[in-house]
Amino acid sequence: MPELPELDPVVHGKLRLAVLSLLIGVEAADFTWLRQKTGSTDGNLGAQMLKLEEAGYVAMEKRFAGRKPQTLYRMTPAGRQALAAYVAALKQLLGTAL
Amino acid sequence: MNSPETDNGITRDDLVQRVALMETMIAEGRRNTGRFGWIFILWGMVCLGGIGVSYLLPRSYWVWPIIIASGFVIQFAGIAMRRRSGNWTGENIKSRSVAAVWRMMGIAIILYAAPAIVTHTIHQIAYIAAIFMFLGMAHATSAMILRWKAQGVVAGLWWAGGTATYFVPRDYVITIYVVEMVCCMVLFGVYAMMLERRRAAAPLQGQVQHHA
Repeated sequence: MPELPELDPVVHGKLRLAVLSLLIGVEAADFTWLRQKTGSTDGNLGAQMLKLEEAGYVAMEKRFAGRKPQTLYRMTPAGRQALAAYVAALKQLLGTAL
Repeated sequence: MNSPETDNGITRDDLVQRVALMETMIAEGRRNTGRFGWIFILWGMVCLGGIGVSYLLPRSYWVWPIIIASGFVIQFAGIAMRRRSGNWTGENIKSRSVAAVWRMMGIAIILYAAPAIVTHTIHQIAYIAAIFMFLGMAHATSAMILRWKAQGVVAGLWWAGGTATYFVPRDYVITIYVVEMVCCMVLFGVYAMMLERRRAAAPLQGQVQHHA
């Protein structure tokens, strides 16, 4: 029997998965937009973004829009690769789960 | 009843939920999230104001340059204010494509209109028809990118107006101009703003509240 694939725990978290799925469709997104789209809180989203950054899946850039600070996030090539691998694993698991 | 578990302790329902979450979020990220309805209203008002002032001051050729410059100042100020207020949204290929269409149309109209203003030929039928055609082309391209039928209808109205200017008596050209500006700029802008507000207020399906 073929071995079932492991799901990347960093990608598997619901909020982190939502963020990665949002980021794959945009070039960059700011923190406020991600918070609004995911319906999460500042604290929770901040913590999850940090985990994604530590894993090398997203890159953060701080800049100023006028006088207002803005935190931008972009998906890294490693993030794209991780999400693609996660989708492949998901497909395989769904195909063999029952 | 519990969903069957995979070997690594994750249920099938859990996996299906993850797939649904990804689909929702990917679709949301790809949606054009820009807010541009106010720009249509602004330029509709600018063009109506311009025609009103040039009707009152028929020999003043400085009217249009001043009015158009004012429109640009207001537009750039509005965009800068939105950026400062932190309303920046995720840019994607679709939004950049639409923005590119309108920017290039703006440049083309400026390059086309500036010599016409300088040479006092802006009252010629062909000049007005060409402006309508430019606008129709930008709307049609944007409608195709966004797959937005309402904008496609607006494009058709611009083209119909541009064509009609050659066939109606000259006195009616101003009527076509006013109708086009009211319907295709002001009212379309109001409609676009209503959709943008509704979209912003609508809760997202599958919003993520859970920790990790």
